[in-house]
Order: sequence, then structure tokens, then C-alpha cells
Amino acid sequence: MSEKKVTCGDVMNHICESLGEELATQRCKEIRAHLKECTCCQQYFESVEMTIDFYKNYNFTASDDVCKNLLKKLNLE
Amino acid sequence: MDEQKLIELAKAGDRKALGDLVKKYTQTIYNFAYKICRDKEKAENTMSETFFSMVKAIHQFDGNSKLSTWLYRIVVNHCFMLARADKSHLFNDPETDEGLFDDRYFTDWSSLPLKNVENEELRRVLDDAVSQLAPEYRIVFMLRDVEGNSTEETAEITGLTIAAVKSRLHRARAFLRKEITKAFQK
Ligand SMILES: [Zn+2]
Repeated sequence: MSEKKVTCGDVMNHICESLGEELATQRCKEIRAHLKECTCCQQYFESVEMTIDFYKNYNFTASDDVCKNLLKKLNLE
Repeated sequence: MDEQKLIELAKAGDRKALGDLVKKYTQTIYNFAYKICRDKEKAENTMSETFFSMVKAIHQFDGNSKLSTWLYRIVVNHCFMLARADKSHLFNDPETDEGLFDDRYFTDWSSLPLKNVENEELRRVLDDAVSQLAPEYRIVFMLRDVEGNSTEETAEITGLTIAAVKSRLHRARAFLRKEITKAFQK
């Protein structure tokens, strides 16, 4: 065990590493334990995940004309 | 045909293979450029510039990184150039944003009217939030979280250290989350 107790602030600072990455160190285990117990951090965590999902699903498509023009400009028709 | 083979052919001067590579990445690059520039015309220009560079320099591509990493790097450089030229826009710097982890924003999102991105209001809020984010944060967030590059790849594309990628990513996420909460708390 590390001497310092995990605080909400630590968890939020750690979310960067814990999203989509390995949570294997002792510190990470403590953070996971805190996250399990603390509603505040859970909500934070979930809302960050939702934020990412929103942007992931918000996409833009180039029209057929744009694609055709690109190939023409590049001389690759 | 697999990408490796296409790249070899393109490097040897095969125009058809080069065209196939361009087609393969057109939507990815356009979508990414749009998300960074927030403007249709700029996104189209950035995409053209990127593929011009690719066509010109494909023979120098060494295959040490993925082709997509290489393309993203060209887009990012182009977008940074555009952002530097555009002095009219004031961005929010999450580094100095004191309220990023303020208690006020620790609400339960399950009560917010956030179902899906087809929702017009949500789209507007997402646009507003991300437009306020300084480009160097927006780019890291898009590359790592939205496009799904690894932290290492994001560092390679942007020329940042891994620690810098992580810290910017963390702050960009917190900033966007805060802005979305604020918009729906009104
Ligand atoms: Zn907590």
C-alpha cells in the first residue's frame, strides 16, 4: 500500500491513464477501488466516457464530388 | 490487395495503386480534417494538401510507422499552420482553466437530455465546446480518443512527449466535459 490515501482529485487526474490503458500498478488498483466506492468519481468517469463517445459518433463525410475532384486534382483518375 | 502491397506498387510508380491508397484514406482524412478545422472548405483544402504531399513523397515513406500515422502528421502540420495564421479566433486554454474540476460540474449525466448525436441541440453544444478548445488540445483529443491512435502514435504524430500527450488529453477531456455540462445545466 502507498501511504497516501486516494482522493477524488487523484482519481480525476488519473483518468487519462485509466481510460483504454492498463490499470496494473498498485496505485491504479487503489484508484479502481476508490472509483468503485465513490459516486462522484463514477459520475465523472462516466461523463468523460460519454464525452468521448459523442465526438466519436459525430462524423463528417466528403461528398462523391469532393472525392472525384480530389483524384482529378492529383491526376489519379 | 493489402496495404503493404499497394504501398510497394505506389512507390514503384504504379498510379492505380496510388489512387487506391488515396481512396482508402479519403474519408478518414476528410473527417479528421473537418473535426480539427470545423469548416468545410478548410477541411477540403487540408485533405487535398495532405494527399498532394503523400503523392509527392510516397517514395520516401520508409514503412517504420503506419501510413495513417504519416498522413495524420501531414494533416496536423497543415492545421497548425492554418491555426497560427488565423489570429481572429480566441481559444480557451485548459492549462489555465481553474474550474476544470469544479464541484459544480459533478452532476449525474444520466439526467441530462443526452441521448445521441442525431440530436440537433447536442450537436450544437459539441461544436461550441470543441471550437473553444485550443488547437493543440483539440488535435490530441481527436487523435487519441476519437480516431483511436495509441498514446505513442499520438506523440509521434504531434511531436509531443508521451507525458505531454497524456496531460493535454486529460485536460481536453475535462474541458469538453465541463462545457457540455454547463450547456445543459442552463
Ligand atoms: Zn471520489
